[in-house]
Amino acid sequence: MEQFEQLLTCAICLDRYRNPKLLPCQHSFCMEPCLEGLVDYVRRQVKCPECRAEHRIPYQGVQGFPTNVTLQRFLELHIEITGELPDPNSGQVMERCNVCSEKAYCSMCYHCDKKVCEDCKGAHMEILRREISRINNQIRRGIHRLQDSLSLIEKNTQSIQTNCLSVGEEVEEIYRRLSKALKDRTDYLRGEIDRYLGTELRSLTNLKDNLEQEVSNILSNCDLADKFMSENTDIWDDCELMDAKEIFLKTVDFIRNFEYENTDYSRKVRLVLAHDPNQLVLHVAGFGDLNIATPSHPFGQSSALLQPPGGGPGLMRSKSDHRLASQFRQNEERGYGERDQDETLHSGRKFGERHQRTGGESTRYDRYGRGSGNDYVDEYESETRPTRSRYSRFRRHNAPENDSDTEQSSRVRFQEQKAERERVLDTEDVARGPLSGITRLADSPRVMKKLQENESGKKKEKEAPPSLPVQPKIVPKRPPPPATRQVSEEDEISKIKKQNKGATTSNSETDRVTERPTPDDRHNTQRKTTTPEAASDGEESEESVSSLQQTQRKTASSKTASTGRRPSDLGHKKAGRSPSTESTASSESSTASSTIRSTGAPFTTEEVKQKFLSRGGSASNESDTRSRLSSVSSNKESTPHKPFQSRFLNKTPSTPPPPSKEEDEETETTSEEETESEEESDEPVSKVESKEMAKSDIGPLLARSAHARESSGDGSRRTSREEPPSMTKARYGSQKEESPSNRYTRNKAVYKANEEEPQRYSYTSRFLNKSKSSAAIPPEEDDHSRYSSLGDDENKYPSGRSRYMALKDRRQRLARSRSSQQFGDEEDADEPMSPTSVNPSAYLASRGYGSTTSSSNDLARSRSSHALKSRDNSPDRSTATEKDGAALSSWARYLKNKYGNRTGGKDKDSNAASSTTSGSSSTSRRLSLGLPLRSSTDLASSDDDSKNMQGSPTTPTAATAAAGIAVAGTFPRSQYLQKCQQLFQIGSRGSETGCFTWPRGVAVGPDNSIVVADSSNHRVQVFDSNGRFLKEFGQYGNGEGEFDCLAGVAVNRIGQFIIADRYNHRIQVFDPSGRFLRSFGSQGSADGRFNYPWGITTDALGFIYVCDKENHRVQVFQSDGTFVGKFGSMGSKEGQLEHPHYISVSNTNRVVVSDSNNHRIQIFDVNGKVITQFGTEGSDEGQFKFPRGVAVDDQGYICVADSGNNRIQIFHPDGTFLRAFGCWGTGKGEFKGLEGVAMTPNGHILVCDRENHRIQVF
Amino acid sequence: MAALPRRIIKETQRLMQEPVPGISAIPDESNARYFHVIVTGPEDSPFEGGLFKLELFLPEDYPMSAPKVRFITKIYHPNIDRLGRICLDILKDKWSPALQIRTVLLSIQALLSAPNPDDPLANDVAELWKVNESEAIRNAKEWTRRYAMDT
Repeated sequence: MEQFEQLLTCAICLDRYRNPKLLPCQHSFCMEPCLEGLVDYVRRQVKCPECRAEHRIPYQGVQGFPTNVTLQRFLELHIEITGELPDPNSGQVMERCNVCSEKAYCSMCYHCDKKVCEDCKGAHMEILRREISRINNQIRRGIHRLQDSLSLIEKNTQSIQTNCLSVGEEVEEIYRRLSKALKDRTDYLRGEIDRYLGTELRSLTNLKDNLEQEVSNILSNCDLADKFMSENTDIWDDCELMDAKEIFLKTVDFIRNFEYENTDYSRKVRLVLAHDPNQLVLHVAGFGDLNIATPSHPFGQSSALLQPPGGGPGLMRSKSDHRLASQFRQNEERGYGERDQDETLHSGRKFGERHQRTGGESTRYDRYGRGSGNDYVDEYESETRPTRSRYSRFRRHNAPENDSDTEQSSRVRFQEQKAERERVLDTEDVARGPLSGITRLADSPRVMKKLQENESGKKKEKEAPPSLPVQPKIVPKRPPPPATRQVSEEDEISKIKKQNKGATTSNSETDRVTERPTPDDRHNTQRKTTTPEAASDGEESEESVSSLQQTQRKTASSKTASTGRRPSDLGHKKAGRSPSTESTASSESSTASSTIRSTGAPFTTEEVKQKFLSRGGSASNESDTRSRLSSVSSNKESTPHKPFQSRFLNKTPSTPPPPSKEEDEETETTSEEETESEEESDEPVSKVESKEMAKSDIGPLLARSAHARESSGDGSRRTSREEPPSMTKARYGSQKEESPSNRYTRNKAVYKANEEEPQRYSYTSRFLNKSKSSAAIPPEEDDHSRYSSLGDDENKYPSGRSRYMALKDRRQRLARSRSSQQFGDEEDADEPMSPTSVNPSAYLASRGYGSTTSSSNDLARSRSSHALKSRDNSPDRSTATEKDGAALSSWARYLKNKYGNRTGGKDKDSNAASSTTSGSSSTSRRLSLGLPLRSSTDLASSDDDSKNMQGSPTTPTAATAAAGIAVAGTFPRSQYLQKCQQLFQIGSRGSETGCFTWPRGVAVGPDNSIVVADSSNHRVQVFDSNGRFLKEFGQYGNGEGEFDCLAGVAVNRIGQFIIADRYNHRIQVFDPSGRFLRSFGSQGSADGRFNYPWGITTDALGFIYVCDKENHRVQVFQSDGTFVGKFGSMGSKEGQLEHPHYISVSNTNRVVVSDSNNHRIQIFDVNGKVITQFGTEGSDEGQFKFPRGVAVDDQGYICVADSGNNRIQIFHPDGTFLRAFGCWGTGKGEFKGLEGVAMTPNGHILVCDRENHRIQVF
Repeated sequence: MAALPRRIIKETQRLMQEPVPGISAIPDESNARYFHVIVTGPEDSPFEGGLFKLELFLPEDYPMSAPKVRFITKIYHPNIDRLGRICLDILKDKWSPALQIRTVLLSIQALLSAPNPDDPLANDVAELWKVNESEAIRNAKEWTRRYAMDT
């Protein structure tokens, strides 16, 4: 037997013969690799290893040698006798392993998607296993987040229960009180009625008795007289007759005089009600509403649901280097893989799936089919489920060999059936996480089987000892599960092979055939046991499976979304319900508002409704009071307005409404001129409207000013709309007390003049509104400290403004005025309809007896908008509005509102002051109106956005910005949406001019030059706007004009270069020609000292803002280096910073700081108070990983270099996500290590691509 | 480094399981292609009683090319030079993939029994072997005693 074995062994490979070829010398060798390796290609001959005989190789190569059929028969016979497993590799052709280049029997490795040999595959599997265990560790570390959420949910459940219980008790209490009061009163009234009835009855019966007695007495008297007087008998003496006569006369007299006081006793009792019963019923019927507090997360409401409050970012991608690795791999493969292969790689494979690459047209077709379908699905998914990717991330962690993210799961639908079945671990009968769609591995039949087999594995090995050594796949170091899988698979294969023994003439095709059905069969049986419907063959099953999975996924992922949405639906319903209870439907409100307008002062549908309810009465006054009531009771935000409104009430009657004269206003200062021009532009528009109001008692002035405010386009609350002049007065008053600035005193004078000259009133009031708004707002706020700070701001502005005025020519102003008119037009278009959304809910809230305390009104509105938005199709809008609407805390909204309104340089600030509903509410309003959204009304909306977010009116460039928007219209948004194509790039690695070594900071000079901090070349390079090298300055050192790894660079208005000389811990200033002017700062943490200053920027007034990175703060200096202030400290709370890297100041004086290690962007005002912040750690839209460069364009759009994700993100001025582009790589539009960014006035984005040593321009 | 070809594994296994008498070849711990070989001097030869250490390295394309073998122990032999290099045809042009480690080592052992001074590598030794065989054999014995026995 031993020798028999030996005879069947190839002398070269010492293995059993595989495809033995017979040489002319009668020696046989395996064709591959043995005989192949013997070939002497130069001489085209082969030398027999046994006898050294040399043979010419046939024309077709070694396969041209005849196969030793006898030997083959012997081999088969041997297999039959010993029962040993056939060679699993028989029939396969050897190929070069794509990893180690050894010739071997290769198979697809799903790790690297190459055909590799067993050994490499084993190594790769080992890698995968290690990765899985690492990721598993991450999951273990991160699972606490879910557990936290779980406990949070439990806590929330409890708190909701207690909350509802207490609210229920409250309701019960109120019910008791109300019913008790009602009962008491009813009892009292009943008692009164009874008493009244008793007394009246008593007196009536008394009267009746007396009267009856009188009647009988008189009648008897009459009878007596009749009887005796006529008979002339002298029974009566004269005395008696006299008495009788007297009696009778008295009787006559009595009868004559008696008159029954009918009215006295027919008094009716009437129930007089203090209130209109209908109203009373309504009041009682709606005595309270449930107010669900708005969550205050500015971002991603639905995702926030998952986040435990204190829980850190937890399981984020940044922590998994695996992510980077896979990204890298992806890139690499994209580099030299064919496109469609790539496609399959990313799309086709699912967890554990192993599909055979049969090649040929059919798979190709499938691939394409899948590929083309993908986009669609992706789009669909991203639209409907913004939170998806979050879960897909989890999924991917589970299945690390997937390179694709969401695509992978979304493509299931387009999988061919075979692939579907081969998805071994993820069959549809597996329990899935309802949120993430993560399958529970232990439930997978396959896994169970594996584990079972693993336990009985040793037995098995004994059962089939001869087979095992032959199995090349079994590598000892392999952990059990995969190994047993191999075994099981091969066991099955062997079984089948035995069955088909007749056919197994080592033919490759039969092997394939036998191999393929195995998994199918298995799956079919599984299916039969589990889901019979899925077991049906053919397309149907495919469809059902895919649809099943699809739906499962959908439910899984959309569940969270729907939880986020649900309250909004509620809110929507609420909002929807409220008008229905009223006689006015929301749809009518436009007409309603117009009717109101004709009545004069009030503009709200609320008031209309109230009028309806109160049935007349002196309309304006009553409704005013009501609206005030409503605003007070319904809205926290509007409470501050109360004083103004009350003042208004006092003053309105005295406000005469004559039209304004524009000529007078020409005498005002430049700033007034501004307003004037706007005024003029507004004029024609407003006149159209004011016609309607001409008849009104308060008059066209009010109408017009109100209209003007409307035209300014802010979605102000109607409640506060009514009384602009008075409000300004009120505000003015407050101003007078609190702000001593010259400006205001001047205004005061104007105001006085206005009182004397009522004609001018309207104009001035508007002017006052505008000029004062920023200062006027603070008093309304809770903290007064703010006020003073803003007052400071105010003081700064005039100079800037005058400079601005000097800078700008008149033409621009003209343009602006024109544009502002455009504003008006646009806004007019949707203004009239806006009350619908606002008012019903507001009104509802106003009716609530104060139990609906705070922002129920807001809530309803925002919710409804939210709901509508969810129907909306455009994804970016949805995120934006989400923030606008629901997620914004009232505070944030207020801030936003305030800043938004200060911005436009128009009288919209009066809105800001008067109403706290922000510009955002106008969006939400629009949304709640069901108006076509941004996607369609792009012009108006983008306009809206930018307007809201413009800088304060007092900043020099604000007006320009406003003009810019108006002129350009959709300019920034659409432009940024198109970004992604690199325009050009500057530089490569090197130290020559025009080359960089780790460029870090980039800035744009006043002449649009590009200034780059060439960090590791210790110099600054300047390029023109087309990227042509202009000049350079600086060298290594710590002297004047020398740098040590400079980081940030900024150029101020007069062209001076301000450089953050990082390792020298100082700031250097150079003149426009690059000559050293001064430096300031040294290492330290005191004021004016630095610890690795990084980003730097300067504002319009020349203040220098420095990111003092290691001191975790921002320091502000005057342009001469005098320390002005600092803000920020180490930490992750609001206003704290951790390694702030870059900084940028908008022309609205919003200081944008990339709070790098907190993975967020914080926006401060110039005094270091946080205005807003956005971003969390992650790689979804609007999330960051170590954001670095930030830039703000002159419209307030924010560009962030998301360095950890190697992409650029662009945000709306309010921090809502607009666009992202870029990925890791060295190609165009790809980044490696992002640093500073800058935005040019013409909308280009300059990006420092550090590791690629270049500047990219988009 | 690519994984070990199955043939090397097989050969190693067989060498360990069925060692050739008088020859031991043990793969290096860190490199499975490197073998520490000890060959006993064949009987009735001047090298009798000596234990000769060799090193054997299987090149990357083994078995398509011959293993590299070298004597570490100094040996007085006409076909083995002072550096231990061996002049053996099967290690050069007569290599055949059908040969194995064991056959190579057997051939080397045979070479010790039958020096071939006509195809010399160490010219001085070969010369002496041809001119004065007895002295050469005495030298060989001396060397064997000196270098191959004291361990």
